[in-house]
Amino acid sequence: MSSVIIIVIIVGILLALGSGLLGLLRGGSGGSDKMFRSLVIRVALSLFLFGVLMLSGYMGWIEPNIVVMDATVAK
Amino acid sequence: MSEKQYYIPDGTYWPIIGSIGISILLIGFANQMHGVSWGSSAMVLGFAITIFMLFGWLGQVVNESVNGQYNQQVDRSFRWGMSWFIFSEVMFFAAFFGALFYARTLSVPWLGGADNNVFTPDLWNGFSATWQQIAFTTPGTTLQSGTAISIPTKLVEATGLPALNTILLLLSGVTLTFAHHALRSSKRNQIIGWLVATIALGVAFLGFQVLEYGHAYADGLKLTSGIYGSTFYMLTGFHGFHVTLGVIMLTVILFRVQKGHFDADNHFAFEGVAWYWHFVDVVWLGLFVFVYWV
Repeated sequence: MSSVIIIVIIVGILLALGSGLLGLLRGGSGGSDKMFRSLVIRVALSLFLFGVLMLSGYMGWIEPNIVVMDATVAK
Repeated sequence: MSEKQYYIPDGTYWPIIGSIGISILLIGFANQMHGVSWGSSAMVLGFAITIFMLFGWLGQVVNESVNGQYNQQVDRSFRWGMSWFIFSEVMFFAAFFGALFYARTLSVPWLGGADNNVFTPDLWNGFSATWQQIAFTTPGTTLQSGTAISIPTKLVEATGLPALNTILLLLSGVTLTFAHHALRSSKRNQIIGWLVATIALGVAFLGFQVLEYGHAYADGLKLTSGIYGSTFYMLTGFHGFHVTLGVIMLTVILFRVQKGHFDADNHFAFEGVAWYWHFVDVVWLGLFVFVYWV
């Protein structure tokens, strides 16, 4: 469950960053406002993601990195 | 300048100077790899010419902009240029994240006998398809092919330095956003303060990354340490290189802010660099999640 939340937040961050890029490309005051708003959302979501990651790791909902793919090797 | 006229710059020597610089840099690099004595000197010379070109050319663009030679059409072409640059950057990192995904999720499990075993030849004794690859043989082993490889003796951990670095970069995103807000509100002293904070956080990130590499290297994790070592250093190394460039660009923007080059409505250079920094920050988040964590 926690990994689904993490992926959803990452997708949200990418969308916000992409929306900021569209604002940058459009230019003018409208584009500039759009870019700034999107980047604020991007920063907020990133901080939230970091919090979720640390909490998930601390609670043991996700396990860092080590994957033993071969069942014959003891973990 | 009139909106109807398209601005055509005067003839300039900078492109050919750049070509010469980059050519000498690459020729020097190739020869240095072959152990030729003048290789590294040529690299240094080529690099110096390239840097000289960047300062000269970009300085000329800044001067033309400050002198009011650009109109909305030029502004649009800058924005298009930025979009193609970003497209190439996204593709660049997508390739390395793709390589990580492929190795991690498909090829390494296949080598370990996953699926129907069709991709699994007899490898060497003691191989097990693990990620990160530390457990499959003893440290410092030479493969059957005779290739000496460095097997790390410790795992790369997500907590500690990488987590600290994530906090630093995230904070730099926050300080940059404050600088951006200050620029849109025409508060120059605040812009300068927040920009200095952003640059300091970026430099601190780089310092800790060097420390992290030192630890990883001491534990035996090198570019030659199998697919994890390769993808780890390719991704984090190129990311660190981007942070370095970002710090340089933010520093240039800082000087330009001090000189009063921007106003609340007209600051494309700041916007371009700010977006680039946010992009590099997001790439790091991807690295933190996919290389260090899961």
